[in-house]
Amino acid sequence: MNGFISFLDKNLSGPMARLSEQRHLRAIRDGVISALPFIIVGSFFLIVAFPPLPEDSLISQWAAKHANEILIPYRLTMFIMSLYIAFGVGYNLAKSYDLDPLSGAQTAVAALLLTITPQMIEDLGFVLPMNNLGGHGLFVAMLVSILSVEVLRLCKGSKITIKMPEQVPASVSRSFEALIPVALVVLLMSLITVGFEIDLHQVVDKAVSPLVTAGDSIFGVWIPVFLITFFWSFGIHGVSVVGTVARPVWEVYLFNNADAVASGSSHIPHIAPETLYQWFIWIGGSGATLGLVLAMLLFSKSKYSKTLSRACLVPGIFNINEPVIFGVPIVLNPIMIVPFVITPLITATLSYFATAAGLVTPTYIQPPWTLPAPIGAYLATGGDWRAIVLVLLNIAISFFIYLPFFKIYDRNMAEMETDKGSDLPSA
Amino acid sequence: MKVLFVCSGGMSSAIVVQALKKEGEKQGLELEVLAVGTSDIESELKKGWDLVMVAPQVRHRMESIQKAADKASVPCGAIPPQAYTPLGGPILLNTVKQLMGI
Repeated sequence: MNGFISFLDKNLSGPMARLSEQRHLRAIRDGVISALPFIIVGSFFLIVAFPPLPEDSLISQWAAKHANEILIPYRLTMFIMSLYIAFGVGYNLAKSYDLDPLSGAQTAVAALLLTITPQMIEDLGFVLPMNNLGGHGLFVAMLVSILSVEVLRLCKGSKITIKMPEQVPASVSRSFEALIPVALVVLLMSLITVGFEIDLHQVVDKAVSPLVTAGDSIFGVWIPVFLITFFWSFGIHGVSVVGTVARPVWEVYLFNNADAVASGSSHIPHIAPETLYQWFIWIGGSGATLGLVLAMLLFSKSKYSKTLSRACLVPGIFNINEPVIFGVPIVLNPIMIVPFVITPLITATLSYFATAAGLVTPTYIQPPWTLPAPIGAYLATGGDWRAIVLVLLNIAISFFIYLPFFKIYDRNMAEMETDKGSDLPSA
Repeated sequence: MKVLFVCSGGMSSAIVVQALKKEGEKQGLELEVLAVGTSDIESELKKGWDLVMVAPQVRHRMESIQKAADKASVPCGAIPPQAYTPLGGPILLNTVKQLMGI
């Protein structure tokens, strides 16, 4: 068993994790993450506009009357998330090439904006339709950001830039350096959008729509859930690796759900944005380890488990579980890996079908991930008390799945302690 | 001595930071320890650190972190997985001493 695990680590999880460190994937990951604060803050205005209170209450009546005004901050943050993401991807990719990050970010923004056609509206002047700057534009944003920075790099690499004499201040010469690549990007994008009248968003939408549909199915939930615990079983940050690829799709779901709520629709389209995983599955951290910590707290025979469980409880409530994963350890531990992988698959299945059946509102608000799960789940569903019930149920399930495995492990620990007569097993 | 911890977002290392600091106090070693995420490493390194330590769950990013540390000529090492817990203070401090050659 141990040989098999180290074989997997060397030949599968390790290389896969390193693959996620590929330059463009990394830039996308960091670019999307850099936009999260705007998405988190923006999404909270949805709960203000649609408070979880009886419809005839004074606050609800006030909110219903002013929903459009209340949602303006949401419209200018989460609703146009691709604009922020393009900036972030451009910035990070340029930085990874040692190019001027700001030039990369700005060129990416220009390229994204050039995929949209401004409309002349009487009394208003030119108006930019916002639709494709949100979740719909996310894949285009990633694509054109990469394109922009690659053009920057190509120009710099083949010395197609305007070089200034040395006496010219650095900031001035930098702005000239960007001149040719920016011209190339602007020309190219204008040619596509204006010249050939190609709507990139439509093209890319078609291309990614199978992926977007698949990710929202039960298989689309099982795969990332399994992969994340699989990576963690080797001590690799699973969410960070899998999220690199999956997070753009998850953000599209969240966007569509938020958009549905904001436009007053009663149908929230997606079951599985990242918030489903965060609040219903990863309770206490990846692997749903809060249940394990509770089992340890109540049933530890060994001194080590008891001490560790006390140290892990508070971080666990706030969804930080590295102390459990590396402390127990779960990493490379055949007994504990089994429940660590199985538990989230079961709670994921339950949460998925509970949401699909309409027993719990689909998530459409993104609270910061360090909130305790019942609070986070309540907020993420726009204030659905049934979400709290589901969270508590999932904690109970994980508790009972972890318990027998933990007891086996703990008995071994206790035996080791009496054999050695020491408090803590040495590493 | 100033030690910089790197993990995914800087959250989980914060717990381990406490463990190292406590152990340092016990042994009378003055330690300044800070936890940051991988995206902040380059800018943080400019502020002058004596040692960079990489959390086990981001060890697949070791290469890029090592590069950043080399650029700033700061020694860089991995945190042993079994030390990455609130109880890992003693092993952590030993690793720090080894990496610093004390």
